[in-house]
Amino acid sequence: MSDVFSNEAPDSAVRLAIERVKAEQSVSDLEGLELGTVIVNMGPQHPSTHGVLRLVVTLDGEVIRDVIPVIGYLHRCKEKLAERRTYFQYIPIPDRTEYVAGMNCEWGYVRTVEKLAGIPVTRRAEFIRVIMAELNRIASHLVAIGTFVADLAPLGTAMAFYTFRDRERILDLLEAASGARMMFNYFRFGGVRYDLPDGWVEKCREFLDYFPPKIVEYENLVNDNAIFLQRTLGKGVLTQEDVKEYAITGPNARASGVKHDLRRTRPYSVYPELDFEIPVGTHGDVYDRYQVRIAEMRESVKIVRQALDMLPKGPVQLGTLRPPYVITPPPGACYTAQENPRGEYGTYIVSDGSRYPYRLKYRDPCFVNLQVFPKLLKGVKIADAIAISGSMDLVLGGIDR
Amino acid sequence: MGIEIGAVKLTLDELGTRLQGEFGDDLVDLRVQEPDTLVARVDRHKLHAVAAKLKGLGEIAYDSCNFVAAVDYVTHLETVYHLYSYSTNTYIELHVEIDRNNAVCDTICDIYPAANWHEREAWDMMGVRFEGHPDLRRILLKDDWIGHPLRKDYVDLVENHPNV
Repeated sequence: MSDVFSNEAPDSAVRLAIERVKAEQSVSDLEGLELGTVIVNMGPQHPSTHGVLRLVVTLDGEVIRDVIPVIGYLHRCKEKLAERRTYFQYIPIPDRTEYVAGMNCEWGYVRTVEKLAGIPVTRRAEFIRVIMAELNRIASHLVAIGTFVADLAPLGTAMAFYTFRDRERILDLLEAASGARMMFNYFRFGGVRYDLPDGWVEKCREFLDYFPPKIVEYENLVNDNAIFLQRTLGKGVLTQEDVKEYAITGPNARASGVKHDLRRTRPYSVYPELDFEIPVGTHGDVYDRYQVRIAEMRESVKIVRQALDMLPKGPVQLGTLRPPYVITPPPGACYTAQENPRGEYGTYIVSDGSRYPYRLKYRDPCFVNLQVFPKLLKGVKIADAIAISGSMDLVLGGIDR
Repeated sequence: MGIEIGAVKLTLDELGTRLQGEFGDDLVDLRVQEPDTLVARVDRHKLHAVAAKLKGLGEIAYDSCNFVAAVDYVTHLETVYHLYSYSTNTYIELHVEIDRNNAVCDTICDIYPAANWHEREAWDMMGVRFEGHPDLRRILLKDDWIGHPLRKDYVDLVENHPNV
């Protein structure tokens, strides 16, 4: 037990894990530990954590006694960067926080600045934004489901191949509109950078016809799979109390039956005009979180279809063809939040009246959702921990910023 | 028992009057920020009591802590608490002024567990020491980092991050 660590000195998280074990077993040094207690670094380069998340796990045999998440391996100073860039120069940066849902993140930032500076958005642009955000939501859920089922191993990476195949079609659409697959830089204050290219709407409709049967395909693949059910039903239950206490949002909260969706509870853009359901689960286990994501993809398809039908003609930028490069919002602070694929993505900006944000703070859904891990994983088998963390759908770009 | 969102129908003004009645001078400059937020200033010594009371308000309780941010205004620091009430579907934003040279603030993570990591982040980036916090370690930067980078007077020196 004493020489499990590498030759590097243990960092604060490992020291904390050791202290907790010592306190629990009331021993003074590691030699006196009970047989079977072992502290393992899961990550930061572990395939199941979907990024550079590190969990310091205290194991008792196969059962997890304690978990200490360690984050920051992907920290790229996004909040500091904001203070040294003009509002306009900063637009591409939010893409890189929750990088599987770049459109949504950009929208969050742009909306906050618009609210702060009082910039109106053209109606056509609002619809284009909704379409892009919902397409990106589907793409993001496809990544979530594909990698999650791959972690569970009943089918190996088969599901991931199917979902990534279809995600690629969405990325093609997004690329056709914005010029990039993932790092879009598409939103502008008051609108979007480009109008939809010729034939884009038809291509998008084609995809909307193509996609729903594919969801059935995914369901056929795993929904009746005995191994899948055994590994998901009743595992990692998140109660409504947990949701409240830990401020969990997004599909993870809705799987527990909390009907919280900012598109409805704090409506923004043109969502009030669109007709869609908010899928909720009942048990809050791994299986429900998977089911809620599947149902949400269907709702997103519905939303995109309606938005395409309602898409008005007109400019996608107000006034001139050029977007406003230099804007100076009046002094003040503003927080806006919106429903990202993973939950409430908030941006808090303080302006001092200059061309640069004075302070910018993200409220990232994954950062908040990750906090419940020590509670959720205590007492479960280590193999289930993989399933549970996969079902929570973390993106480290957002957690570490 | 389930969480119903927006079950209690109250306008922001009604809610504001009710809170002002409950808290009196503890909520300073309580004002409405459309569409769904109340904003107030709180003395740093009263913060813990105010937060505890906000959570225990019964049917209009502010159940969850959305986020905690820290801002450096050069003359002073400020922590911003964003709390959410499921039953009324509204938010309250509390601003707490903190002395810059002796940046100490009470933790609220015993009341709102979700505040835990946000407070650690505020300590890491802004150097606000939260008294009573169970685990106030750096969260995004390495353990041996020197200084708090989001402070306005932070100078980025190689010596500040010895092992990077």
